[in-house]
Amino acid sequence: MTERNRQKRTKDAPYPTDFTNARFVECMRTPHDVGGEDDVPMEFEEKEEEVWEHNTFVTCEVLAWRGVWNAEERRRRQNVDLGNSNYLAIPYYGRWLLTAARILIDKQHVTLTELIEKMDEVKKRYE
Amino acid sequence: MAEKHKPAPMVDEVSYFEALEVAVRELCIEKGLFTADDHRRWTEYMHTLSPIPAARLVAKAWLDPEFKKLAVEDGVKASLEVGIDWINSMPTHFGTPSDYCSLRVMEDTPKLKHVVVCTLCSCYPRPILGQSPEWYRTPNYRRRIVRWPRQVLSEFGLQLPEDVEIRVVDSNQKSRFIVLPVRPEGTEGWTEDQLTEIVTRDCLIGVAVPKPGKTQNDIRPIARAANPYGH
Amino acid sequence: MSKSHHADMATGIGDPQCFKGKAGKAKFKVGDRVRVRDLQEVFYTRCQDYTRGALATVTEVVYESPPPEDEAWDNTDRSEWFYSVVFDMKELWPEYPDVYAKDTVETELPEFWLEKA
Repeated sequence: MTERNRQKRTKDAPYPTDFTNARFVECMRTPHDVGGEDDVPMEFEEKEEEVWEHNTFVTCEVLAWRGVWNAEERRRRQNVDLGNSNYLAIPYYGRWLLTAARILIDKQHVTLTELIEKMDEVKKRYE
Repeated sequence: MAEKHKPAPMVDEVSYFEALEVAVRELCIEKGLFTADDHRRWTEYMHTLSPIPAARLVAKAWLDPEFKKLAVEDGVKASLEVGIDWINSMPTHFGTPSDYCSLRVMEDTPKLKHVVVCTLCSCYPRPILGQSPEWYRTPNYRRRIVRWPRQVLSEFGLQLPEDVEIRVVDSNQKSRFIVLPVRPEGTEGWTEDQLTEIVTRDCLIGVAVPKPGKTQNDIRPIARAANPYGH
Repeated sequence: MSKSHHADMATGIGDPQCFKGKAGKAKFKVGDRVRVRDLQEVFYTRCQDYTRGALATVTEVVYESPPPEDEAWDNTDRSEWFYSVVFDMKELWPEYPDVYAKDTVETELPEFWLEKA
């Protein structure tokens, strides 16, 4: 057996002793804090707005107008809590929409089962 | 330069985003969180927004040194002169939830050029400038403008001498920013309307400078929507 | 679930205007040299990573408001003074060219992120 194999053990989550403070700091970094990260030149575009994107924006503002949340709560949930992978993988207004859906459930205005059933009902209208 | 249009995507089923949006909005209304009328009223408010009031604020500042002083000292008060009340123009009567009531007008000089970004999200002075452009919201712009401003500005066609300070304004809290560019040469004797016309949205963000005869933003590709929103 | 009380305190007044007078005495003034504290961020912040530990000059004392770290949980109990601060690019980025050494970044930060330099 090689020395390397002898020293290997099946690893799952890291032990604290394997996890430096530098790693801790990296893990705590918030996904939205991108200023100064490396990137390459990209063609800057305008974009037509989807009907659902416009409605999503209005829904988010109206939810704040009517006291369900404030904009900073929305930003925290939408731009950080969603997590690193979703931040880059999901369309911009997709994050707004998922966050609006999430606040309704977190603040117990709507149950998740209600949301799931309603979305299914809406989808069926298009069939 | 001809406008570059990217073709609209072919779709044969409803976007799940669209279905979720309808579901969320209908549930909000069913549960009494807001009314359909609230949603309509906010949509109507959004329809009133454009870059024109901000452009007019700049034109007025160019024509009147006292107004320029007010604009720089108290952007919210100066906005009233172009019909924008950051507190009461909108249905809330406490500002828009996302844009607050702290407009700061950043005055360029021959030795100081401002450009605005929100590196953390895409904060933008909507009540006076309208909805933000797609490129402003991209991680790409937000990553690069704050560290390589001269490179990014040159991609926008703007290059500045080395004795000009470029100040990148990172809009990360409650203030919202517009740039008050230097009044260009060749506009002597111009009316407020004529001056307003050459202050484009891109000039107000800071990625362009006003020029006589240039009344539009630079032409860029327009990504088409599958189901576009039209006014 | 209780709804946000934002409308109650800000209607007709505006935000951040509704927090005026709640922060007490401002610790810093225009012209002060400050350093961004190297606090460990946890869960949420709007103090950009690129500013941490960097020197800046206060250019404006802008308004009073709860810090976003609290407002993001709808906690508006405590307001702070917010400052607009200017950093030299060369202070922030090691590779920033000397030929453009005049370039700067301006951003706003709540008082708790700043200390006297």
